[in-house]
Amino acid sequence: MSAQLAPEDVLTDEGYAVVATAEDLHVTFRRNGKAIHALRGISLEIRRGEILGLVGESGSGKSVLGLTLLGLHGAGATISGRATVRGRDMVSATDAERRAVRVAHLGAVFQDPMTSLNPTMRVGRQVAEAAGSDEEALRLLRLVGVPEAESRMSAFPHELSGGLRQRVMIAMAVAGNPDLVIADEPTTALDVTVQAQVLRLLRTLRDELGCSVLMITHDLGVAAQIADRVAVMYAGRLAELGESDAVLRSSAHPYTLGLMRSRLTLGVDRTRALPALPGEVPSPAAPQPGCAFSPRCSVAGPDCAETSPEPVEVEPGHHSACLRPLAVVRSTDTVSPVALTARAEPAGIDQDTAALSLRSVVKTFGVGKGFGRKRTLHALRGVSLQVAQGESVALVGESGSGKSTLLRVAAGLETADSGEVELSGGSRPQMVFQDSGASLTPWMTVEQILGERVRDLGRAARAAKVREALSLVGLPAEVGAARATQLSGGQRQRVCLARATIVPPPVLLCDEPTSALDVSLAASVINLIARLRRELGMSVLFVTHDLSVARVVADRIAVMYLGQIVEIGASDRVTSAPLHPYTRSLVSAVPDVGLTPVILPGEPASPLNPPSGCAFHPRCADATESCQDTELGLRLQRVANDDVDRVACINIDLSHVPTPVYITPKGA
Amino acid sequence: MTQVRFVGQRFAAMVIIVLALAAAVFALQKMSPLDPVHARLGGQASQGAIAAERHALGLDRPIVTQFGHYLAGLVHGDLGDSYRTRRPVTTDLLAYVPATAELAATGLIIALVLAIAFAFASTLRVRGAGLFRLGLMLGASVPTFLLGVFGILLFYQHFGWLPASGRTSIGNAPTGPTHLLTLDGLLHGRPDVTWDALKHLLMPATAIALGPAVAIGRVLRSSLEGELSSDYVRTARAKGRSERQILLGHVVRNAVGAAVSMTGLQVGLMFAGVLVVEQVFGWPGLGLYIAESIPVADFPAIAGVTLLLGSAYVVINAAVDVIQAAADPRIRV
Ligand SMILES: Nc1ncnc2c1ncn2[C@@H]1O[C@H](COP(=O)(O)OP(=O)(O)OP(=O)(O)O)[C@@H](O)[C@H]1O
Ligand code: SF4
Ligand code: SF4
Ligand SMILES: [Mg+2]
Repeated sequence: MSAQLAPEDVLTDEGYAVVATAEDLHVTFRRNGKAIHALRGISLEIRRGEILGLVGESGSGKSVLGLTLLGLHGAGATISGRATVRGRDMVSATDAERRAVRVAHLGAVFQDPMTSLNPTMRVGRQVAEAAGSDEEALRLLRLVGVPEAESRMSAFPHELSGGLRQRVMIAMAVAGNPDLVIADEPTTALDVTVQAQVLRLLRTLRDELGCSVLMITHDLGVAAQIADRVAVMYAGRLAELGESDAVLRSSAHPYTLGLMRSRLTLGVDRTRALPALPGEVPSPAAPQPGCAFSPRCSVAGPDCAETSPEPVEVEPGHHSACLRPLAVVRSTDTVSPVALTARAEPAGIDQDTAALSLRSVVKTFGVGKGFGRKRTLHALRGVSLQVAQGESVALVGESGSGKSTLLRVAAGLETADSGEVELSGGSRPQMVFQDSGASLTPWMTVEQILGERVRDLGRAARAAKVREALSLVGLPAEVGAARATQLSGGQRQRVCLARATIVPPPVLLCDEPTSALDVSLAASVINLIARLRRELGMSVLFVTHDLSVARVVADRIAVMYLGQIVEIGASDRVTSAPLHPYTRSLVSAVPDVGLTPVILPGEPASPLNPPSGCAFHPRCADATESCQDTELGLRLQRVANDDVDRVACINIDLSHVPTPVYITPKGA
Repeated sequence: MTQVRFVGQRFAAMVIIVLALAAAVFALQKMSPLDPVHARLGGQASQGAIAAERHALGLDRPIVTQFGHYLAGLVHGDLGDSYRTRRPVTTDLLAYVPATAELAATGLIIALVLAIAFAFASTLRVRGAGLFRLGLMLGASVPTFLLGVFGILLFYQHFGWLPASGRTSIGNAPTGPTHLLTLDGLLHGRPDVTWDALKHLLMPATAIALGPAVAIGRVLRSSLEGELSSDYVRTARAKGRSERQILLGHVVRNAVGAAVSMTGLQVGLMFAGVLVVEQVFGWPGLGLYIAESIPVADFPAIAGVTLLLGSAYVVINAAVDVIQAAADPRIRV
């Protein structure tokens, strides 16, 4: 390696207690001539051997802090203060010094393992670049649990699954025994079962190697699962810092309290609207004086708009940056619950009156380009599903399970190879996507976008209709004059909902409409969908990978695995007393405060080549010999002759429906 | 297996293109007011002589039959006889192709060298990159034949550094085995021949290279810059790799794809440039051959050159695909 520390620079002190620090760190970027204040005076230390969780909403500066510690903030940033790693300031260091510190003391894991690995370089070489030799690379790949590591050395990243790619990233990060691994949302792009595996791996590695980990995540459940201490950031400043349990279970800062209360978990009361933090994250281009949280804070006083609070110790080892006394903060409701979300009890489904009815839908895709090289991807392998009028059904499952394809078939955007799709009333369903910003025409105003769908109305009637639609989704009429690019993520998602519902459709199809949004925005969009559904009497089919979202939006949940529904039933029952072994592992992999996840081994199988018999058998703990029988012909079976719950597994007692057990998060 | 299929596909593409080109040239000839018989025999030929010549050339038969006949010959590598030289077109082509191939190859090499220098200099913000870029752009914006003329005025007339026409000024230059003078000179132990040939090549090759150099260089630069801000480069930096290691070890391989396809496209334009430049520099290649064939409506010769260049284009683009697949494991030929 060309970058070497001079011998006198190597910190040989074995007794150090602090690996890295931020000291009154300010980082400012310039974008379109405007100053973006990403970090505004943050001080914290990362202790030797600890996992420090860094949480906060999007744009709070978590990644910027991580990158500054790595010395990768880029030339465009104006920085003051210090960011030290093993005593060396990465802000004032020269390029060569920074590089030497990275080689000797740092490792990094980034969010998207597909783009973060070089697509044209063999995995073994990429690890060897950090490890120094092929032998060491191989040892590391084994250490992080890559199966058949030897043959994987010569694989390219696209030949590995998402989970394996992230393991490769981790192998590179821990090469050369770093003192600190900076992990920026390392599990956000992964399925929940794989996420649980990766989190456990990071913890095990920390225990074995003794390195510290800065774990950046927007998911408080993930932080709770892995971190020893948690730092909460808001608008480029530290809001709260302390032991994980203290911060997450007895929060001291109004913002943390709000985040914890608006968090979606499997224990949320689904008969009421989700409590959501009011307002939105402030713009980093125009920071206000005083406490940045004051516009959203329910205990703010006049002093809050002037004085910017510094973190002070409120309990031993527990710091919070708030002007109010602890007792006041904790006794106040920081969030505003509204009305009813979902119906408590799903009714039986009357086949004849179903709003949407799918029967034995099969869909395959040919993948690979060129002649004769096509392989068949089995996206849907015989799916039947009825959605009753006014009912909401969620489709859950890991990536590649076919949930979005099913939705697209229902929407008529994709034609099934075989099977039937029937919509009552014949009018077209409307769809809302994950990336709503992209689906709104950038040069049209919101008014024009909405007006397009009611073109045959007169001018005045059209304007009235648009206003009504906007107010229904909780947007002020002024938004009508704005273009999509001028709106925030949450507002854009609302505009999409307004466009979908301005002419109330019989069925609303939603594809992960909340997964790109922060907790508080996600909660408000979910509430909105519930309200629209109630007021317009629509049916909803909602695709999500997140069981806690599914649980609150839907009356019933259908769990998909490799193109088939393996279990369907009432939301509460599926999430609290799951029957199918796959559903059980999904439920237990959801990270939460105070829960230990049960980890499902193995990688999700590929839809290019679904296993025989029950497709889940290679990963199933309950599998018996007959499960892999090609003649198995597994079908959804009724549980206890009831009309709601069905499951496809041969090793389950179908005589009675288990009673839902409500999970109450501890400490909440 | 995939290789076999790939070659098969490309061969099929070549056949289709050759057929289409042959049909196009054939149609053009039929629409042309020029009469090959008239061109061959001159204005004073008798009616009878003209009829006899028409018959000898097969021009009195139905067009479809003529075309079929031509295609049948093609299959056997027979492009017919040139009306003008009265030799088989294949023989003529073999005589003219090496000069053109040498010129085009040299032009391509110069274009690539300039493009790479341009792209790396501006990506790495090397001093003087701006000036270099300006010079290149200026050169590329001038039509090829004007470039040639300016070059001759400056480097031949004024400075006398470079020769103005022909492939060589050495009388007893070796004539084989490759017919490429630069190589043959080396093979025969005559570095003077190689050196002299290079001097002759420099001006015409540069004239055809400037346009493609800018086009390829731009694409290469923007993909280098795009790759340098990608996530995997951030990962490499986090590993502590140096900027040089990152550029050469990671970025180049990811960035070449776009530049290589641009090169494939530019080769077509370069053929056109070659044909023009050969006349400016009196280069005894296909350009001269075709320039002499067009005025006399020498259809077999024109068709022969067209088909040859068309096939070369297909082969070069197949090479482009192979190079891209070699650079990017996600692409399979
Ligand atoms: N290179 C850059 N140039 C300009 N602005 C930047 C740059 N990097 C970050 N920012 C801005 O700094 C602010 C903080 O960004 P940062 O990426 O740290 O947020 P985050 O907390 O990691 O959010 P997320 O959860 O979305 O990843 C944002 O407003 C962002 O747009
Ligand atoms: S300082 Fe004021 S505005 Fe800020 S969190 Fe505390 S009470 Fe709320
Ligand atoms: S059928 Fe067998 S393999 Fe499939 S889920 Fe049931 S027990 Fe597991
Ligand atoms: Mg981030």
